[in-house]
Amino acid sequence: MMSGKPGYHGVILNIDLSTGKSEKVAIPPEDLARFVGGQGLGMKILWDRLKKPGVNPLSPENPLIFMPGPFSGLPVPSSSRTCVVTKSPITSPVESDYPHASTVSYSNMGGFFGPEIRFAGYDGLVITGKASELSYVVIDDDKVEIREGKRFKGMRTDAFDKVFLDALGDRRFKTVYIGPAGEKLVPYSSILHTAGRAAGRGGMGCIMGSKNLKAIAVKGSGQPGVADHKRFLAALEKARSALFGSAYAKSWAEQGTARAIVANSNAGTEAVRNYREGTFLEADKIGGDAARRDVWVKDIACYCCPLACKKSGTTKGKYGGIVHDGPEYETGVMLGSNLLISDMPGLLKAITTLDDLGLDQISTGNVIGFLMEAYEKGLIDRSFLDGIDLKWGSVDATLAMIEKIAAKDGVGALAAEGVRALSWHIGKGSEKFAIQVKGLELAAHNIQANQPRGLSYVTASRGACHMSGDNIAMQNRRAMLDSTGMCFFPTFEPALEEPMLSLLSAITGHEYDKAEFEKTGERIFNLEKLFNYREGFRRADDRLPDRFFEDAFTIGPKKGSVLDREQFDAMLTQYYKDRGWDSETTKPGKAKLQELGLDSI
Amino acid sequence: MKGTDSSHEGTSFTRRDFIKSVGIGGGLVLFGQFGVNAAAWALSGDPVLKMVLVDYTKCTGCRTCETACSARNRPVSINGRDLPGLGNPRFANIRVHSFNPDVDVPNVCAMCADTPCVNTCPVKPDPKTGRRALYRDQATHAITNDPGRCLGCRSCAKACAAQRRGVITPNPTTGKPERMCTLCGGDPQCVKRCPFGALSYVEVRRDRKFYGLGPEKIAAELAKGWYGTAEFGGMK
Repeated sequence: MMSGKPGYHGVILNIDLSTGKSEKVAIPPEDLARFVGGQGLGMKILWDRLKKPGVNPLSPENPLIFMPGPFSGLPVPSSSRTCVVTKSPITSPVESDYPHASTVSYSNMGGFFGPEIRFAGYDGLVITGKASELSYVVIDDDKVEIREGKRFKGMRTDAFDKVFLDALGDRRFKTVYIGPAGEKLVPYSSILHTAGRAAGRGGMGCIMGSKNLKAIAVKGSGQPGVADHKRFLAALEKARSALFGSAYAKSWAEQGTARAIVANSNAGTEAVRNYREGTFLEADKIGGDAARRDVWVKDIACYCCPLACKKSGTTKGKYGGIVHDGPEYETGVMLGSNLLISDMPGLLKAITTLDDLGLDQISTGNVIGFLMEAYEKGLIDRSFLDGIDLKWGSVDATLAMIEKIAAKDGVGALAAEGVRALSWHIGKGSEKFAIQVKGLELAAHNIQANQPRGLSYVTASRGACHMSGDNIAMQNRRAMLDSTGMCFFPTFEPALEEPMLSLLSAITGHEYDKAEFEKTGERIFNLEKLFNYREGFRRADDRLPDRFFEDAFTIGPKKGSVLDREQFDAMLTQYYKDRGWDSETTKPGKAKLQELGLDSI
Repeated sequence: MKGTDSSHEGTSFTRRDFIKSVGIGGGLVLFGQFGVNAAAWALSGDPVLKMVLVDYTKCTGCRTCETACSARNRPVSINGRDLPGLGNPRFANIRVHSFNPDVDVPNVCAMCADTPCVNTCPVKPDPKTGRRALYRDQATHAITNDPGRCLGCRSCAKACAAQRRGVITPNPTTGKPERMCTLCGGDPQCVKRCPFGALSYVEVRRDRKFYGLGPEKIAAELAKGWYGTAEFGGMK
């Protein structure tokens, strides 16, 4: 089926697990032009499917949307990403008319899944309904099957990855799946791909679990066309020259994001001791140099990526084993610095276990950090923790806690609800150090000495998100970038900018310069805001925990740093004004919506 | 020296594997996999052949090679002129096999001197050219199929899978062989485009340890060294 719109198949595959029916649905061409793909088009589909606020995210109605972008399936460097979009099972506003009010949610992962969706002939997958028993979906070009998968119940992701691929009998299949935590509906459970890549944030695994869907396998033989073949080839050549063999690409291959474990600690911007500090005195023990020396044996790249930031290896001793990935910055800090764990094999055991169970590394590390602090302060005792001696730096206690959360066992059932729910339950002033926004836990970037990142956390559409962007221009740009299928990491290379825009124009036939790129991103970001506003999110929800205004760092180069409340509020007020939103309510203004063509939506 | 290169680096192959996979007598086992092939080389008149050689420690599994191969070997015609295609990896002659734990094995024609694929072709040699339907092109050295004479019997693909790398893939409809490396007229695009320098275009003799082995066997061998494991996903 051709849409007539170059660069796209013009169809999404709709799978209803309740009825067992699947069908190709045409995408309105104007949506492709206005929302592009990935996060943007995913949001438009979410908006269209959920016509009213307050839909229970765990209901069959809530769509789980897998979106590649216009770059996906073409040999554009680093065009490997898949954006998963749904309504969040984690977030909620301070006040709302709707008991199930929550934000949009998105999570973006690398690998091979998004390109394969496009090879199979689709611009996206939309899963709705709920299967009557644990099931999986197999998509082989036009052939779509929903199969019963009870034998996979409770299976951890590494074992499942192997068994599933063998059961499919063709390693060309690209697969995504949930672990035991997703099956148990832990709100911050993740979706895994290739056993070591994840759509980790925002509760994607929980939504997949709520649909009784263990896995999806995709394989395809086709490819979308492009609008201007010659221009595409010329721009591809330039994009490759900008990255291939460059010092920039080599630096990523050398250490990936793990380089920042030491660098951010030295800069005082790392999450340490439940965000109490910005510097971890033992960061070098879990950093990129140490991992390169003691752990990593192989650099791994996603589809057509010249950066290869993923690393695998092995560790020895009590916690020894195969490591599919890590430490990366987020995983290494959330389970390392933030918990004062400096034992590399122990850290990697925790990281590997979280992927194996299908839990978000960021939220889980944050939750355990909170519990360690509450335990240290005597706000909870050992019996509250089911006997776990949850002291700072304890690998064994961390591993025990992780298992409890994934199984929702004892204290794990409460901890699975996230750090905000825990603080409400414990009380005694613990909300101050429950490090979340709108119910979603903060990531590994600390902010007492980094106010702009604080803005990213409070204004991001899915709750505390470190990837949203530290100012309006960055937010718009990221929203657009995550709609194309290209990864964020290569785009810091300035030489890629012009070829990237040229590629997008050549593929879609729509002319993108920097301004048009950012304008489209602004449209996407505003659509997300409209969704959240409709659910009842207001300025009171764009709020940081008190710790960041009260607890100044006591060590490191940024010792003494703390955010100023008035200054932060003033920055926020200016942000809403610059956005064209009401600074009291945060409601997007009519003029802005008209400008973006969102007034009639 | 010629034909008796024994500087292999010790594959884990059993004697029976050798005999089964190569079909040449026991004495040659001492040479290892490459030794056997080197001997076959000598028997085949010792041709000088070049191939795409993989450094598995450098391959990251990004599959850029697949897209570069496909773009070159599946051109598109625009205004009567052939231009590189969009690089659909499904039509690449090189294919990266990825496993769990992470091992990536690009699989491409081994340019076997003794051509088990050609030898098994049941089409009678043409009296003038001496060619069966499947033959080695004397100019490019690439294994080439004459679709007009090919019966689509798939025996070449079976021979490649049983005795060497399993590169040759029958077309699902016609059964005619596909995925033989063309060497891109002496400038292999996979080699040129690999961002990690994992591929090189060299004389066949430089491939030692993994010469002519299928991706599963290579992956198992690599994983033993890298991860100390023989437990694998994606072997089927």
